[in-house]
Amino acid sequence: MLASPFRFLAVAVFVLVVGLCATRPPAGRAYGDKDKHEEKGGHAHVPAPTQYADIHVPLSVWTDAAMIARGKEIYTTRCAVCHGDGGDGKGPAGLALPLKPPDFRDKDGVAEMRDNYWFWRVSEGGQVEPFKGKGSAMPPWEGQLSVEERWAVMAYQHTFSGHQGPHVPWEHPESVAMGRDIYAMACVMCHGVAGKGDGSVGPMLSPRRAPQPRDFTSAEFKFRSTPSGQLPTTADLFCTVTEGVRSSGGPMTIGLQGHRIMPSFRYMPEAQRLEVIEYVKSLNRGFWERREIKTVAVPAAPPVTPERLSRGKQLYADAECLACHGERGRGDGPSAPTLKDNRNLPIAATDLTKPERFKNGARPEDVYRTLMTGLAGTPMPSYADSLEPDQAWDLVFYVLSLSRGGRTSAAGTR
Amino acid sequence: MTKALFAIVAFFVVGLVGAAFAVTDEAPISGTVKAIDHSANILTLQTTAKGTTRDVTILLKPDSKIVKFARATEPGKTGFVEQPLTPSDLKPGWAVSVTTKHEVGKEVAEVVTVILEK
Repeated sequence: MLASPFRFLAVAVFVLVVGLCATRPPAGRAYGDKDKHEEKGGHAHVPAPTQYADIHVPLSVWTDAAMIARGKEIYTTRCAVCHGDGGDGKGPAGLALPLKPPDFRDKDGVAEMRDNYWFWRVSEGGQVEPFKGKGSAMPPWEGQLSVEERWAVMAYQHTFSGHQGPHVPWEHPESVAMGRDIYAMACVMCHGVAGKGDGSVGPMLSPRRAPQPRDFTSAEFKFRSTPSGQLPTTADLFCTVTEGVRSSGGPMTIGLQGHRIMPSFRYMPEAQRLEVIEYVKSLNRGFWERREIKTVAVPAAPPVTPERLSRGKQLYADAECLACHGERGRGDGPSAPTLKDNRNLPIAATDLTKPERFKNGARPEDVYRTLMTGLAGTPMPSYADSLEPDQAWDLVFYVLSLSRGGRTSAAGTR
Repeated sequence: MTKALFAIVAFFVVGLVGAAFAVTDEAPISGTVKAIDHSANILTLQTTAKGTTRDVTILLKPDSKIVKFARATEPGKTGFVEQPLTPSDLKPGWAVSVTTKHEVGKEVAEVVTVILEK
């Protein structure tokens, strides 16, 4: 009787041991488990951080023979010792590494790498997470190779995959597959399948009035840190996705927390927000065609004084803010009833006495940025060419003083 | 009978654990050379694994191989050739990968491969 359970236990342990023997042993004490892709010498699927997210390789680089030749020269002297002359990740030094270099001949693996991710990897190598924690020995080339040289190396590495065209999302939809899936679940109802802002639910949020969901294929994005007429940065898009868009909205927005016409996605993991932004960007080739990205500088806010508020009040009248926003800032100026957006839909002038509903944020720096960038597609212009920074601050503080008690930084932050 | 079965199972378990340790000892360690103690033949590597950076001390024995790879200079050859180095050639800051074996509580270098000279 007593032997039976022991026998059962012994057999169970024996089966377990046989099972363990059949599986592979741990890869290494220092490096732990690696997923299948990395064993092949692949890459981790993580979005590039925002400081690299806007660095897209010019389309011509990928197929420019001179750039590819320049890249080959650099690759041969600096990269091939690990990555191999044939790009197979089997250079003599690479074979000794715990985390194997990727195989650039793996066209599927290469297709999944976005250009900004690739540039980030070449620039910072394995010195950043999550690669550092995995024991990557990839050196950072940022200090040794110029931006153009890094692009050239990437263009040469890209040739190993056999792909002939530029390495962009519309050539490699798999590179934004995760973002596309998130978009399909969280965004498509309002922004539409093609991102034109024509989703089925969107118009119900604010029937026959602005604001309507953004058309991602157009050049007009309201909330930016970039000058008037330019596309936003990835960080701007991240801010909008994270914070949502505040508005009085229509009857369908009642359930959206904090008077938001677009919900906040702050509880979505950061990596997923970045993935969906990469998909949104892939809908607009302008993100790849722009070269230099400038952002509006927001100088340090000066102290608020009665004189500053007085000057701001005068500017409010001189700049014709009151024509739309009204003398007391309630959005009831004489022009307010006639305002229309770029879709010819009626649009309300913002009620400046309710900073919690400022779409672009209600901190002093947010209002300053809004004055300088304007809100593309709406009657709100950019004052970057007509106001000096100090004047802009005068106006900012006057605008914020219009709300009861001057509620500013606590309300409506973005 | 039961005791015999237990003995067999114990034998397998010990064998499995031993095999796992034997395999992991051969896993290379990559990192940056932090220091070299030539008198004690100790190489200290700064390495990061599972998000944690730590120093690993590795004993360099006379039979430890230290190599780097350089382009062949002979006419007609384009590949890489292995160049032997000595411990005194190693410099702090260099990126290296080291295969080791575990000997009486110490990591002993088998092959030190220089990845990048800085």
